[in-house]
Amino acid sequence: MVSQDKKTILISPVTRIEGHAKITIQLDDAGEVSEALFHVNEFRGFEKFCEGRMYTEMPIITPRICGICPISHSIASVKACEMIQGIQPAYTGDLLRRLIHIGQNISSHALSFFHLSSPDFLLGFDSDPALRNIVGLAEKYPDIALRGIRLRKFGQEISERITGKKIHIAGIAPGGMAFPLTEENRKALLAWIPEALETVKMGISIIKKFQEENFGMVNSFASSPTLYLGTVGPEGQHELYDGKLRFMNADGIILQDQLEPKRYLEFIAERSVSWSYLKYPYYKPLGFDKGFYRVGPLARLNVSTRMKTPLAQKEFVNFKSMGGGKPVHGTFFYHYARLIETLSSVEEAEVILNDREITSANIQTHGRWNYNEGVGSSEAPRGTLFHHYVTDVTGKLTHVNLLIATGQNNPSMNRSITEVAKQYVRGDQIKEGMLNRVESAIRCYDPCLSCSTHAIGKMPLKLEIYNDRGELVKQHAEN
Amino acid sequence: MLKTDLTILVVGIGNNCRGDDGLGWRFVETVEALGLAFVGCEYRYQLQVEDAELISAFDLVVFADASYETLDKGFEVRACTGNATFEFSTHAQSPEAILKLCNTIFKKSPKAYIVAIGGDSWELTTSLSIKAEKNLNAAVGFFTGQFLPVQHARVCVD
Repeated sequence: MVSQDKKTILISPVTRIEGHAKITIQLDDAGEVSEALFHVNEFRGFEKFCEGRMYTEMPIITPRICGICPISHSIASVKACEMIQGIQPAYTGDLLRRLIHIGQNISSHALSFFHLSSPDFLLGFDSDPALRNIVGLAEKYPDIALRGIRLRKFGQEISERITGKKIHIAGIAPGGMAFPLTEENRKALLAWIPEALETVKMGISIIKKFQEENFGMVNSFASSPTLYLGTVGPEGQHELYDGKLRFMNADGIILQDQLEPKRYLEFIAERSVSWSYLKYPYYKPLGFDKGFYRVGPLARLNVSTRMKTPLAQKEFVNFKSMGGGKPVHGTFFYHYARLIETLSSVEEAEVILNDREITSANIQTHGRWNYNEGVGSSEAPRGTLFHHYVTDVTGKLTHVNLLIATGQNNPSMNRSITEVAKQYVRGDQIKEGMLNRVESAIRCYDPCLSCSTHAIGKMPLKLEIYNDRGELVKQHAEN
Repeated sequence: MLKTDLTILVVGIGNNCRGDDGLGWRFVETVEALGLAFVGCEYRYQLQVEDAELISAFDLVVFADASYETLDKGFEVRACTGNATFEFSTHAQSPEAILKLCNTIFKKSPKAYIVAIGGDSWELTTSLSIKAEKNLNAAVGFFTGQFLPVQHARVCVD
């Protein structure tokens, strides 16, 4: 986006995130940052082209929205289908879905921390951008790179050993699962737990060391307060798979609690913006201007009362202490929160794998269309996800609403990059490291903007700076 | 040293629901249908860092993908060497970067080639364009008729 009467810095695409986006930074006449905008330039159209399809196709169609968090879509989708059918899943099938969901959380969070973000922490925000990635990390810290790769692999192997595939799996179905877990696969997955725990603990020590050594930067990095949304268990405990909604304000006061996800439209509204295909959701009771809320690991830990597992609980207590009794607002702490969730997920995976019913063949109940509306929700790695289906009497979809996790962070992502840009970018001396810090604000949220087509030789990276006459004056990086 | 068990991995890259972007997968499907014992086949939307471990187990790796470029014979086979190339997104790695990772982390350096097959249309469809089909046939013909026999023979006398 180029303004005719202001200077504009364009970062396109944003690097080391899932999907494609660009950032524009507007400079005023004095060369200071006036505004930064996060543009999502993908349009997929799932809500529209699914109209007319049978609701039972959605657990297969909607995971194709994303290759990083497809299971969250599967889970939300089958729950919506189960509401339409009026059934509950079989115990073991539900447990297997929970396990697969945990596996996705582990692999997605491992990708985010070790592959996308740790190069900044370990190699430096101002290091050579050509090496500030997993390849550069592997050269300098091969053990860390390998451990990160293997942690991600463990998460994917959970899906593979149950369903035969790592991504876009089949088998998560209304009523439970289509495939059981064999005893051989159960033992193989259990064997991973010790290594996975050690890797997550290593990640936690990396981020805590960085936080301690860069205390000032970390605490001032995009730290404006917001509301928070996450799902929790019946006692307010951290819950990713099957919780109820909890909204919390910036002072830590619970605004809404134990809400059924099907009531989401009573509390969440969306507004379109001109510069992005991603809308601006907000907490309806407080209106657009005061209703920005965040989702994802930081939000989930802020709204939760406790974790379910012991090692994660210990880190959770430390996390909460950083807020001094109030929510932790610093955007940078998404990374720490993400690792605490990963630790919890590995611990919970071990508990589930030791459940006496986990290899049972009782994996699915069956139903048929009974109601014309269903809403399903799950906590995707990036935040709360909603699938809302309305059908006719034959089961054909007449309306689909998908409220994606990353979309709910959109207002806050825009605000965060503006804050970081104002803090680090100086129009008269634009350095790559400054712009990397702006991008890293986005990376804290680990947004998932979905994947798109590619072919050999077609992934350009451009950073262009225009003067106030719209003339290109500088190209900062190009691939 | 005489070596009789060359292992080859063929990786098809692309999205088979976006027209000619499915060329990589179609190439692998065709090779897989031949049922060659020493050829492993994998399908990927995009290469990811964990593929470095996958390829470390093979002597020779072939990456097949669609190309936007106009290629003389409709396809091109070129050697691929490990290089820390800068990709804008870590969740989509280049073959060169995967090879570099394989060497750095797993201390393995399989021989590698890229088979680039010319595509023409990239819309939402599971079918290939006529031009892409022609290019695919040419690429597969070369691969099975000339490339594979040479590679297999070469290793046997190394």
